[in-house]
Amino acid sequence: MPTLPLWAVWVIKAAVIYGALLGVAALMSLAERKVSAWIQYRIGPNRVGPFGLLQPLADGVKFIFKEELIPDGANPFLFRIAPALAALPAMLAIAVIPFAGEVELFGQRTNLSVTDLPISSLYVLAVGGLGIYGIILGGWSSNSKYSLLGGLRAAAQMVSYELSLILSILAVVALSGSLDLRVIADAQQAPDVLWNVARQPLAFLLFVVCMFAETNRHPFDFAESEPELVGGFHTEYSSMRFALFFLGEYCAMTVMSCLATVLFLGGGAIPFWPEAPWWAALACFLAKMSAFLFLYLWVRWTLPRFRFDQLMNLGWKVMLPLALLNLFATAALIALEVY
Amino acid sequence: MAETLFYALALAAVGFSVGVISARSPMISVLSLLGAFVCLALVYLLAGFQFLAAAQVLVYAGAIMVLFLFVVMLLNLTDLAKVAEHPTRALGLPRVALAGASAGVLGVLALLASANVPSGSADPAMVAQGFDGLEPIAVALFSRYLLPFEAASLLLLATMVGVIVLAKRQRGAAASGPAKEAAAVAAASAAAEPQLEGAGAR
Repeated sequence: MPTLPLWAVWVIKAAVIYGALLGVAALMSLAERKVSAWIQYRIGPNRVGPFGLLQPLADGVKFIFKEELIPDGANPFLFRIAPALAALPAMLAIAVIPFAGEVELFGQRTNLSVTDLPISSLYVLAVGGLGIYGIILGGWSSNSKYSLLGGLRAAAQMVSYELSLILSILAVVALSGSLDLRVIADAQQAPDVLWNVARQPLAFLLFVVCMFAETNRHPFDFAESEPELVGGFHTEYSSMRFALFFLGEYCAMTVMSCLATVLFLGGGAIPFWPEAPWWAALACFLAKMSAFLFLYLWVRWTLPRFRFDQLMNLGWKVMLPLALLNLFATAALIALEVY
Repeated sequence: MAETLFYALALAAVGFSVGVISARSPMISVLSLLGAFVCLALVYLLAGFQFLAAAQVLVYAGAIMVLFLFVVMLLNLTDLAKVAEHPTRALGLPRVALAGASAGVLGVLALLASANVPSGSADPAMVAQGFDGLEPIAVALFSRYLLPFEAASLLLLATMVGVIVLAKRQRGAAASGPAKEAAAVAAASAAAEPQLEGAGAR
């Protein structure tokens, strides 16, 4: 391989990782229908390409050729910018996910992630959390009661579940003693250390539940909730802007799955094979991530939707006390040097 | 490069701040405030305070502004448009005068406060670690600044209790559904805030 300057390697890494993220998001739109068909004993899309694999491409072309409508009385600027605001944060958040350790690319030794920050776990939460603005603004600027209610629900739900999410992650951070996702992942690679899912089972459970609420996925998808709100925040959207909301949702799901893999399943760690080469670790990371993505779909087609008051009660009366308790217990156990 | 970026960000922050007070629609005000917060976070980042920048976005942009938006979305904006057009006619002269007087007092206080900021009063331990070590921030917060920290939590707790009381009283009268819901969410978030800030510092 030819030797390239460091900046070129960075550009290539960033391009490949973002391309892969968009590819995964497109595949998820197909997987959603394929898995639902499988669970409901149907066949699903199978006409475009082998196994329907080119269906996302056909959908994209169709979206581009659809007419775009802006409802009367809508705020045109906010209406236009909201889908981009919904999609961008998830794409930014993928930048600090450590997919694998050091690799040699084009003669440069580099870590397999777009960048490494000492506070990367906070970065993911802070940037990823901004995605909610796209949904709120999309709902408000549409000038429609269904959209407004969807946006309101998204805001209330996000504020309620963000706290439990942060507190469950903090227990893991306290255990690893670092906010750096790479350090957290590497700490679980040692052969005599259990993965965080075994050391922090309650935090893992809380994280997984919050993961569904944060990405507005079933059984917590009250922001769209099609039987009551038609489509919630995206009722008035059409064409590519409608597709952008879904792109953002699938990207956010992918980032959350990556985060769960890093925090609780040891990143690319393979049990009983501590000396695994980077490509095996990367494959293992992607396999774990796919398992979480499949969980999203599996839950969607298995569980019924909550009621909104049940969602709020669960968030404030069950999740938050449990997350606080878990953090206190973890801190006490660390202070007593049990961990 | 850094200087150019700083002036661009500072200018944008000032522009957004002007937008907060000059926009007619409260929605635009809140979004301008959000823009100002994000600009400030970027300024922190430029100065090398990564943790502070992340906490700024996480707490203010991520949680508190969402709440502001939530409340604004429940307001009746047509009433507010009347107020914006003819403040004295819609509210009466005394109220407008009171609002102006309070704004003036606040402005004088802000000027006094900014004149009294001592230069170079930062904790030496924090300066040594470039403000970015989590440990000095946590130690300072839970030792030197423990009293103000706890006082702030107490203030927020009192706010929360007050909001709940107000919401309960409204229920006796004919309170509309969304208003109750908004009050409950506001109270819950006020409760969560000290935890969030404490969590961010840990």
